[in-house]
Parts: sequence; structure tokens; C-alpha cells
Amino acid sequence: MQLIELKNIKHHYDKISVLDDLTLHMEDNQLTCLLGSSGSGKTTILRLIAGLETPQKGQIIIDNQIVTKNNQIIIPPQDRSIGFIFQDLALWPHFTVYNNIAFGLKERNENNIQDTVFEILDFFDLRDHAEKYPHQLSGGQKQLVAIARSLVLKPNILLMDEPLASLDVKLKRKILKHIKSLKEHFDLTIIYVTHDHKEAFEIADNILVLNEGEIEEMGTVEQVKRSKNKFINYFLEY
Amino acid sequence: MKNKLLYTIIYLSFIFLVVLPVVYTLITALFADDSFVSNIGALKSDTFLLLAKSIVIAFLIAIFSTFFGTVLGFLLYKMKTYFRGFFKVALLIPLFISPYILAVAWKDLFYLIFGDVSFLSSNFGVILVLTTIFTPLSMLIIGGAFSNVNVQLEEAGFVITNRRSVILKITIPLIKHALISSFVLVFIFSISEFSVPAFFGVKVLTTEIFTQFSAFYNYSLAILQSALLIFICIILLFSEGKHIADASFLSVGSKGMKNQSYDIKRWNNTGLTILVVWFLITVVLPFVVLFIQSFKEGASKFIQAFELLLPTFGSSIGLAFLGALIIVFVGFTAAFFSARQSGKKGSFFDWLLLIIFAIPSTIFGISLIKFYNQPMLDLIYSSYMIIIIAYVGKFSFISSKLIGNAIRQIPKSLEEVAIIQGISSYKRLISIWIPLVMPSLFISFVISFIFSLGELGTTIMIYPPGTEIMPIKVFTIMANAPQSLTSSMTLIVFSITLLIIISFYFMMKPFIKKYHYAID
Repeated sequence: MQLIELKNIKHHYDKISVLDDLTLHMEDNQLTCLLGSSGSGKTTILRLIAGLETPQKGQIIIDNQIVTKNNQIIIPPQDRSIGFIFQDLALWPHFTVYNNIAFGLKERNENNIQDTVFEILDFFDLRDHAEKYPHQLSGGQKQLVAIARSLVLKPNILLMDEPLASLDVKLKRKILKHIKSLKEHFDLTIIYVTHDHKEAFEIADNILVLNEGEIEEMGTVEQVKRSKNKFINYFLEY
Repeated sequence: MKNKLLYTIIYLSFIFLVVLPVVYTLITALFADDSFVSNIGALKSDTFLLLAKSIVIAFLIAIFSTFFGTVLGFLLYKMKTYFRGFFKVALLIPLFISPYILAVAWKDLFYLIFGDVSFLSSNFGVILVLTTIFTPLSMLIIGGAFSNVNVQLEEAGFVITNRRSVILKITIPLIKHALISSFVLVFIFSISEFSVPAFFGVKVLTTEIFTQFSAFYNYSLAILQSALLIFICIILLFSEGKHIADASFLSVGSKGMKNQSYDIKRWNNTGLTILVVWFLITVVLPFVVLFIQSFKEGASKFIQAFELLLPTFGSSIGLAFLGALIIVFVGFTAAFFSARQSGKKGSFFDWLLLIIFAIPSTIFGISLIKFYNQPMLDLIYSSYMIIIIAYVGKFSFISSKLIGNAIRQIPKSLEEVAIIQGISSYKRLISIWIPLVMPSLFISFVISFIFSLGELGTTIMIYPPGTEIMPIKVFTIMANAPQSLTSSMTLIVFSITLLIIISFYFMMKPFIKKYHYAID
């Protein structure tokens, strides 16, 4: 089932066109990787889905609801049932781990906030770090806190913008495994942006290869690997 | 929504309370009663001669301050000179002391050494005193630029040439804008300065404007002369506007690139000597001389000065405190919205703050009087409110830049993640933005408080009758008072300012430590 659809999206920053008449869709309960080099438009797609930016033209549909139409936000980011992991993780530096996770719950006046927070802390093995501040955590722990903060609000979609870019290879492997398991455990649709094809091959159900705002290839890992597309072959060489 | 409403209220209040008086005064001076051409014709050659003299004096002060500022900035921000942490703060002290206080101190020093002050009561005296006051500003601007030079650009130079060539051909050209900004800002402040030339009896355009306004009640001429000064200041601001409007030197901490400091052992002692000598001349000596002069006839004059100033302490500190609070509020609002708005509205507010900041104090004072001296606005004119408006107009630019530069260092994603989590805009402001810029809010408050406490140029034009404020009291009494009484009063004001600076410095340390995440 299609969960996310982008139809005829046009988007530019100042006079530089990033996406030109882009149409694509993403399936429910799949981990889709947006793969491409810098400036290919993958982060822009993520931000458009989140509602952090509006396109100049086109439609974005999430779960059969139009959320953005042309340059108008129909459904604001907080009502799209999404979580977003930024490249810099965006952990609030003045909040403890506990408060980073509880902040969104408090705003929504949820019940049993403490239990909910500790439940997710336990899942990520972070309970012992609840009272620590982000700068007191290791790189891997920060990643997990950022993911926990998003998942505690029970989103349907998790958008991840190169969240592992700053980690070493060993830690990256470990966290990738964790991310892969999240899909089943939290019944999620994950869209994962990366420029590293090895990372994409390791976790993706589907891969969407982008080049200068256009889709070069779309399919499963095997389909992308077997692609005859010149750009794909060039891109996968490195 | 709430935030936008707040911004609109602050924005419109600033325009109506601060900007409108200036615009109104200029328009009425040029067009009221008579035609524009005949009003312009009222400017005689004397005015232009005074203008030329003011320009030459300001030019020399700007050159000297920029030169000394470069040397000190280099020693403090580019060299591993001993005790540089201490000197970075200590050498700024003259910038926070009211210029007339340092003028009194220098006069006392010359009197003590030469027994004659006629040499100092001249253009030379104005240049000397204002150079010592504005050099710290140049040091701050240029030092900030030195520390932001990308280390790799210098390292690439070291591979192919020696250190001297790297400094002259790579580092100095890279800080060119800071040198120009320093020159332009010091020039504007010098040409706008009133109290020091007035104290030394040197006739320049600002003192002439004051005389025309206060002694001859020739408002029209005073305002036309003011328009000339405003014109020069604005032309200069626009010439180097972007760099000055950004004012990146006004920031707390920096997340810039790691800077390259030179550790040249044989230069360290020379560097330290220069810093110590400068500190002694510009900070210690004025204080010591004031002390000697105050007590040379025993403690009686000091006690008399204290009794004279005692009634002013409460109102001065109260007004400065209230002024600083409002300034921080306006500065934060302006900075917050201008940093987040790519539109012209935000940058227009920035420009308004900068222009009002750069308008000479006396002229700003005249504008406030002309505008508020109407039956309808008497509540403001005859109360302390007019003084608060003056403080807010004069110092909101500094506050907005200090806070704005801190806001710009905070990643946008910290707010975006909150938006996605459904945190309201009000809560984002209170729970995310304010704690993250707390050190800048604090420092902005301290600087606004100190500047407001010592403000004289505008306040002397607008203070309502019977107002008891420290700088006004000192300045009005010292014209006819014996020298030891003048010295005692300035010593008291100097000491109070110094005490406040030192107290805030010690309060700042634990405060910054608490909010270290914001400036790491």
C-alpha cells in the first residue's frame, strides 16, 4: 500500500532548482533509502514530507490525505504522525536525556509520561543515562536518544537524514542493525537518506537513487545492484 | 501567533517612540515656517568650518584607535601572550567608563605633572582621551576578526613562506573588513561625541549644536547642523553597512574555526610589556590620579562629593536597571525575528536600530525633546520615561547584535524538531530559545546597564527638571566646582562603574558555566 506520494513536485532555493516535476511514492511498512550524492535533493524530499518546507508546485499525500498542496501546508508537521532524525541529531543541549524524550509528551498532555519515557529508555538501554545531558553521551548514545525521542510519540513514519554520518564504521554497523529492527517493533515506515550505498544496501527494502533532483533508479536492493543505468554504475563504483 | 503579535508590538513601539521623533524633528527643521532652500541657507561657513574640524579630529582618532586596536588585538587574539585572558577583559574598561570621567582624570594627570592643563584643553586633549576610550572597541572588532581567521589558510602560507609574510600577506588582508569597520565606527562615535570636547572647551559641531539649542534656543539651526552630522554618519554606515550591521564582533563565545595563535617566545615579553603599559596608562593611571586629586585636601571634598551624589544613586541605578531590562527585551525580540525572517521586515528593523545607535547623542536628545514637548505627550516629556526611551534608542542595537549573533549559532534543527513534536511557538521560545541564548542575554543586560548608567550626551538634553541622575549631577556641578570636588565626584562614579563591572564579571563566571552548552 502506498503511504507517501509526491506528485509533480517543483522546488527551488532562490533561483536554483532542486526538484523539477518529481513524482514518487513510498510503500507502507518499508524501509526506503533515498540514495544520492550531495545536492541531489534527497534531504529536500525529506523536509517536504515533514512539512518543514513547502514546494512551489505539486502535491504531497500521506496516508491518503493531502498534506501539502502547491505552496500551502494543509496538515502541519506535528499532525502528520512523523518523527524526524536530523543529521546533527538536534538534541536539546540544555535538557537531560529524560527531558529530551519527555518534552513532546508533556506538550501533548499525555498520561503516565514517566512510565512511557522509562519504557523507551529501557528499549534502547539508556535508563542509566536518563539524567545525563547530551554532551555527556557518546556518539552512539546520542543517536539512540534522538531515535527514542522521535519514537516515544508513536509516529507512523520515521524520516532519517543521514543520522550516522559522523560515526565510525563499527558503531555505524551496530546502529544500522538497531534501525532495521525498529521497523518491525514499532510498525514503522522509514525513509532513510544517505549518500553511502553500502549503508543503503545493508538496511533498505527499497532504494530510490537520485541525481540532480531526478530519479535515476527505483527498486529493491537487488534491482538497483543489477541496474544498467550509467549513473548508477558510476555511483556504485565508489 | 502570540510571538508575531509581540514582535509587531515591539516593532511599532520602537518606530513610534524612538524613530518617529528623529524623523519628525528633521522634517520640521527643514520644512517648517520657511522653505527648504532658505533653511539650508541658514547654514553659514562657520558651520562648515566646524564640520571640517570635527571631521579631522574624528579621522585622527579613528586612525589612532584602529592602529592601537590592531596591535592590542594581535597580541591578545593572535599571540600566546601571558595573562591574555585577564587583559582581554581589563583593557575593555575605558569603553565602559563615561568619556567625561576619563577626561577629568587626564586633566588631573596633566595638572599633577605639568601644573598646567592648557595643553590638554585643546584638540590634542580630545584626540588623546577619545583614542584611549575607543581603542578597546577597535581591539574588540579586530581581535574578533583575528580569531576567526581560518587556520588552514595561514598554515597553507607557512608551507611556502615565513611568518612575517603570512601575517602581512594573508592574515591582515583577511581582516580588512574589520579594520574598515573599526575605522568607520570609531569615526562615527568620535564625530558624535559631546562630553569630552565640551569638558575641554574645544568647539566642534556637537558642542555648537548644544550651544545653539540650549543657550540661543535656535532650534532650527541646531537641527540643521544635526542633519549634517546625521548625513555623514549614515553615508559612512551605508558604505560599510553590512559588516557593521552584522557586528559579528559583538558575540559571546564563538563556534567558528579553531584559530591559530603564534607562540613566539622572544615576542611574549615585549607583548606583555605593551599590554601592561597600555593597561597602566588607560585604566590604572586615571584611577590613581583621581584618587590623589580627590584626597589632596583631606577627605572633606570626597565626603562632600559623596553627599552630593548620594541622592542620585537610587534613581540612576534604578533607571539603568529598568532601561537595561527593556533594552534586552527589545534586543532579543529584534534579533529573534530578524534571525528567523529572511524578509525585508527583519533587516529593516536591524537598520533602524543601527541608524538610531549611530545618530549623535545630542541630536537624538534634541529630537526627543522636540517631539515629546507637546501637551499631548507631556506624560513622557516630564517624567523618567523620556530617559528610558533615550536609553532604549541608544543601546538596543548592541543588545540585538549580541543576542542575534548567539541565535545565529544555534542550529535551526533544534527548533524544527520541536515543531515536528508539536511544541507550540510560545513554548519553543520559552523552553528552547531563551535558555540557549541566556549567556548573551546576561551579557547584553550588563553592557546595557553600564552604558545606561553612564549615558550623558542624550540625557543632558532631555532630563526633566529636578531629575537626580549621576552623570548629569557630575557634569552640571563640575563646571563651577573646585577641582578636588570634581575629581572626587568622578572618582566615585568611576569606582561605582568599576565595582559593577567587577561584580558582574564574577557573577558571569558561574552563570556562563551553568549555560556552557550554549557557547561550547
